[in-house]
Amino acid sequence: METGIVVVEKVAGKSTVTRCFCKCPLKLIIPTKVGFPNTDAVWIYTLSYGGGLVSGDSICCAITVGDGCTTVLTTQASTKVYKSVGSKCSEQFLEARVGGSALLAVIPDPVTCFSTARYSQKQVFRVTSDSSLLIVDWLTSGRHENGEKWDFEFYKSTNNIYLEGDRPLFLDSVLLEQGSCSSIAERMQDYQVIAMVILMGPQLKHLQTQVQGEVKKIMSTQFYAPGMKRKSEHCQIKPALIASCSAFGPKSVGVVVRIAAMTTESVYTFLRHQLASMEPLLGASPYC
Amino acid sequence: MNSKCESLHHSSQEPQSESDNSNSPMEYDIEPCGRSRNTTPANNLLFWTQCQLLDSILPTGGFAHSYGLEAAIQAHIISGPEDLKTHAIHVLENTGSLLLPFVYTANRSPDMETWSRLDKMLEATLTNEVSRRASVSQGSALLRVAATVFSEVPSLKNMRDALLVSRTLSFHHAPVFGLVCGLVGIDSETTQRAYMFITLRDVISAATRLNLVGPLGAAVLQHQIALVAEEMVQKWMDRPVEEACQTAPLLDIVQGCHGYLFSKMFSS
Repeated sequence: METGIVVVEKVAGKSTVTRCFCKCPLKLIIPTKVGFPNTDAVWIYTLSYGGGLVSGDSICCAITVGDGCTTVLTTQASTKVYKSVGSKCSEQFLEARVGGSALLAVIPDPVTCFSTARYSQKQVFRVTSDSSLLIVDWLTSGRHENGEKWDFEFYKSTNNIYLEGDRPLFLDSVLLEQGSCSSIAERMQDYQVIAMVILMGPQLKHLQTQVQGEVKKIMSTQFYAPGMKRKSEHCQIKPALIASCSAFGPKSVGVVVRIAAMTTESVYTFLRHQLASMEPLLGASPYC
Repeated sequence: MNSKCESLHHSSQEPQSESDNSNSPMEYDIEPCGRSRNTTPANNLLFWTQCQLLDSILPTGGFAHSYGLEAAIQAHIISGPEDLKTHAIHVLENTGSLLLPFVYTANRSPDMETWSRLDKMLEATLTNEVSRRASVSQGSALLRVAATVFSEVPSLKNMRDALLVSRTLSFHHAPVFGLVCGLVGIDSETTQRAYMFITLRDVISAATRLNLVGPLGAAVLQHQIALVAEEMVQKWMDRPVEEACQTAPLLDIVQGCHGYLFSKMFSS
């Protein structure tokens, strides 16, 4: 049962919300003035009552982006997942259909799971061969300034992209569970943030090449083979931000960037910088 | 080894029987005379096949891959044998959660249709280019070797010939491994454990060549980790591919950086 439904279609040549429904614990806000007035993009903010999800909350949202439309789905602040009561899990589902020549940008703030929290998220995107998609999915270790580092019980995030119906194009699930063999903190070492950025489709082709080049440039100074001359002492400690890019899909239709970082702010800076060229398409620069 | 593997000539059409008793605690029972009850000529032969499939001498190119170890060393995430142990455990955990479902499903239904579906799914699941390429190169090598070596299983060669024609397939390692083991008659539990074994084998072997640990130290480490590895086999075996997931995202990010290394010994 959906708690949110949005349909965006072309009306008189402009991307327009033709249907919008939401109910507790989800609230959708669709401001009409985001960025330049002459850009054809709909911005949708998803809000939850109380700034986060309490144990047992379940949000299920369906969004349809019609042919040729541009839609941005974002949040106003990080999604907090509060402590779990018993073994109850908080859940969010998103099912998105992106039409031909349409662009959907899902650019939320990170998910922050408090200690003992249990959270599961699944996002399914159904695209055509000329749809464009920008997805940012990220997670922090918790209230790490308070000492809660990777202290939640369970986190699962699935992002699946299917092409023309049921052809799997990108299937990704990350599961972090306090385990018998190793704790989450052990697996994450000193890193406090894990992020993934997916760039796909013709409208983001240029950005894909640009991000691949930039990430390569950033990372090439971070690796030193044993015995190689080091420029300075700081090269002997692990990098504060690690990023890697991979192309995926037939004819490398998409690029996925995965990031691990020691601070949330460094990932905001990275995203702001890398996605700045989206501004003409979306009417405003992501994460500004 | 289990008793259903009477024959090496296991037909590809024959589904793995419901009576698969691989989980039976009796399988290692020793007869009073001290001989294993499974000592039949077919089982003896199967032992040789198993050993050969797990031997690092089998030319599938496993030695070319470090499973992210080389990148992790150069990023200073790993600096000594203790870190190596942690790394190997994380590699195993990720292999268990992400790849064992593919090994399992291919092994239980070693037919072309299942295998093609798994191969396409894994192509979409391995979103990290470095590990995707490593999987494809090892998978195609294993299928080539197996089709040539196990000539008593004609379906292996027939299948390879048929698959080579199709251009939409990638030959990923985990489903090929499951398929080959299924066709030569290795039960699914042994197959999944074997897959974890070769993963550990390759990480440890890469570590010695990267001079992180000596050959004797490596052997000690391999034996120690076996305990943890077995726990992971128990945790992740027999799962459907829909449940396949990453459990060590940091590892995946670091491995993805392999292409950025200025000088490298391994291809992944």
